[in-house]
Amino acid sequence: MPISFVLICVFGLGVIAWAISRARSAHFAPVAGKLKLALPGHYGLYAAIWTIVPALLAAWIWSLISPGLVHGAILADPAAAQLPAFEFERNTVLNEAFALANNPNAFASDTIAQQLAPAIAAAQAKFGWIGAAITLIVALSGLAFGYTRIKAGFPARSRIERIVLGALLLASFVAIVTTVGIIASLIFESARFFSMVNPIDFLFGTNWTPDTMASASSDMGNDLGAVPLFWGTFFIGAVIAMIVAIPFGLMSAIYLTQYASPRARRILKPMLEILAGIPTVVYGYFAALTAAPIIRDLANAIGITNASTESALAAGLVMGVMIIPFVSSMADDSIAAVPQAMRDGSLAMGATTSETIKKVLIPAALPGIVAGVMLAISRAIGETMIVYMAAGASANLSANPFERMTTVTYQIAALLTGEGSFDHPTTLSAFALGLVLFIVTLILNIIALRVVKRFREAYE
Amino acid sequence: MSNWQSPEATARLNKRYAAERRFKLLGLAAIVLSMLFLAVLLFTMLKNGISGLDWSFLSGSDSTDPSTAGVWSAVKGSILTMLVTLALAFPMGVLAAIYLEEFAPRSRWVDWIEVSINNLAAVPSIIFGLLGLAVFIQFLHLPRSSPLVGGMTLALMTMPVIVISGRNAIKAVPPSIRDAALAVGASKVQTVFHHVLPLALPGILTGTIIGMARALGETAPLLMIGMRAFVSTPPGGVSDPSSVLPMQIFLWSDEVDQGFVQNTSAAIIVLLFVLIAMNGVAIYLRNKFETRW
Repeated sequence: MPISFVLICVFGLGVIAWAISRARSAHFAPVAGKLKLALPGHYGLYAAIWTIVPALLAAWIWSLISPGLVHGAILADPAAAQLPAFEFERNTVLNEAFALANNPNAFASDTIAQQLAPAIAAAQAKFGWIGAAITLIVALSGLAFGYTRIKAGFPARSRIERIVLGALLLASFVAIVTTVGIIASLIFESARFFSMVNPIDFLFGTNWTPDTMASASSDMGNDLGAVPLFWGTFFIGAVIAMIVAIPFGLMSAIYLTQYASPRARRILKPMLEILAGIPTVVYGYFAALTAAPIIRDLANAIGITNASTESALAAGLVMGVMIIPFVSSMADDSIAAVPQAMRDGSLAMGATTSETIKKVLIPAALPGIVAGVMLAISRAIGETMIVYMAAGASANLSANPFERMTTVTYQIAALLTGEGSFDHPTTLSAFALGLVLFIVTLILNIIALRVVKRFREAYE
Repeated sequence: MSNWQSPEATARLNKRYAAERRFKLLGLAAIVLSMLFLAVLLFTMLKNGISGLDWSFLSGSDSTDPSTAGVWSAVKGSILTMLVTLALAFPMGVLAAIYLEEFAPRSRWVDWIEVSINNLAAVPSIIFGLLGLAVFIQFLHLPRSSPLVGGMTLALMTMPVIVISGRNAIKAVPPSIRDAALAVGASKVQTVFHHVLPLALPGILTGTIIGMARALGETAPLLMIGMRAFVSTPPGGVSDPSSVLPMQIFLWSDEVDQGFVQNTSAAIIVLLFVLIAMNGVAIYLRNKFETRW
C-alpha cells in the first residue's frame, strides 16, 4: 500500500475525529456553578491530535526498522545462499537487487540479483502492508481514546495549550541544534583530519598544494600548509575590500545622515541597499567579466608584465563595493546614537558642519564604527562566490594585489566539489578550514556585538 | 579691537567654508560612485543579455549548445528549493519568535537560544553548506543535488532571519492589545494566536520575503551539497537532481564558449528581476499594513 495513501487515511481519520468530537461537545449541558473549560473546537482538535500524532510516530518508527526486517527476510531466502561471502561483493549484489526490485527497468548484470529481486519486492510489499496496518490501528485507537476522553468537565483548552507550548519550545531548540550541529560536524571531521595531519603543519605551513589523488602518507602536512590561504583571505577580505568599503561606506553614511534632505535620504538609502541585495554570484560574474580585464590592462599599463585576468585586486574591489551598504548602515546607526546635544554644542561654538563631524561625531561614534567594520570583515572573509570566480586557485604568499590569490572559502568549495574521497586528508582539510573560518568569524562577531552594546549603553 | 573682518580672518573663514564644501562633495561622491557602480553592473548585464532573453530561453533546459540552452530547469529547481525552505523555515521561525517574545522565561536555556540565533545570522553561508554536506548527505544519506537537501540547508540559514524580524514585529504590537484579550477571558495562547500574531503578520511576512530573497540568490552552500550537476531536464520532484538559478549562472560563467556570456547575463537578468519583484512586494506589504501604534 503506498505510503501517501496511508497518510491520507490518517489525516482523514483526524478530520473525522475533529468533526465527531466537536459535534459531541457542542451538546454538553453547562454544569451549574462551573466555568466552561473549553470551546467545541478545542475538543475537536484534542481528538484529532490524538488520532494523527501517534499514528505518524508509529509510521516513522516503522520506516526506520522495516529496512532491517526486509534485509533479514532476504538473507533467509534460499536464493541468498549463493550470495558471495565477501561483504563488499555481497553488498554490491544486494544493492543491484534492491534497485531492480524498485524499478523493473533498472540494469542488473548479476544473475543472483535477478533471482533475488522478486523476493525483495515481495518482502517489501509484505512489510509495507504490515506497516500500513500498524499505522491505521494506532490512528483508530488514538481516535477512540481521544473521543472517550471528551466529557463536559474535561479541560481540553489547557491540554491543547500545553501541546502548543511544547511545539513552540521545540521550534526554538532548532536554533541550538543547528549551532551544535555546525560545531559538532566541523569538529568531528576536523578531528579525523588532524589525526592524519599534524595541526602545527596545517596552521603554520606555507606550502599549499592539495592533491586528492596523492597516497595518504605521513608527510601530507608538507603539502597542506594553510598560511597562504589565511594570507589571501586576509589580504582580499580585510585589506583590499576594506580600503574600498570603509571610506565609501563611512562617507555615504555621513552624507545621508548629516547633509541629505529627508527626501533625498528616503530615495538614496534604499538605492544603496540594492547593492547589498544583489546575489554574490552576480558580483562574481561581474568581477570576472568586466573588472578583471580592466585591472589586467591597468597592470600592463603601469609596467607589470604577465598580469593575469584573475587577481586579488578584482575580487577585493568588487567585494568592497558589496560591503559598502553594510558599513554604511552600521556607521549610520552609530552616528545616530551620538546625542544631539554634542552636535549642537559643537555647532554653537562656531564649528562648521564638517568640523563637527570630523572632530565630534566621528570620535564619539568610533567604537560603533569599528564594531561595524569588524562585522563587515567577518562577512567579507566568509564570502565565497566572488573569490571563487575572480581570485583564482593558486596559493600565493605575496603582497602584490595584481597576482592571483586564493582564500579559505575558495579552497573549501574547490576541495569538496572535486572528485576526492571523503576519507582522504586533502578532502577533509576543507572541514578544518571551515572550523578555522567559523572560529574567526565567531570571535569577530562576539567582540563587535559586545562593543556595540557597551557603546549604546554609554550614551543612554 | 576685533579683527574678525580683517583680510586674514576672511581668508581663514573662506578656507574653512571651502573645506566644508569639499567634505560635502566627498560624501556625495561616495554615494554617486556607488550608484554608478550599480548602474554599470546593471547596464553590462542588460547589454550582454537582453537579446538572449526570449521565450525559448525561458522555457528551455540546460544544454551544451548555448543557442538552445534555457533556464527553465534551473528556475524550477529554484522554485522547488524555495518551497522546501519556506515550508521549513517559516513555521519554525515564527513559532520560535513567538516563544522567545511571548512565553520564554528568563533562564539559561533561553539565553543560549538567543545567542545561537544571533550568531547563526552572522555565520558565513558556506559553513551552512558544510553542515548540510556532513549531516544531510554524509550522515542521513539524503539524495545529493536534490532540492530537498538544498531547501533544508537554506532553511537553517533563513530561520534566524525570520526569527529576528518576527521578534521585532511581535514586540511592536502594543501591550494594550494583549491586556484587552486577557481581560475578556482569553488564555495566553489564545491571546497570542488570535490577536498578537495577526497584527504582527505583515512585519513577519516582510522579514520572511527578505530572508527568502537572500536564500534565492545563495550559491555557496548549494555548491557544497552538489547542486552543480548538469541537468538537462527539469526536476520532477524534490528528491530529483536539480540545479538552481544562481548555480546555473555560475556554471555558465565557467563555460569557454562565447555564446554562454549572453546566456549568463540573461539568466542574471531573470534572477535580478525576481529578486527586485520580491523586495518590491516586501516594501509594498510594509507600507500597506504597517501600523503606527
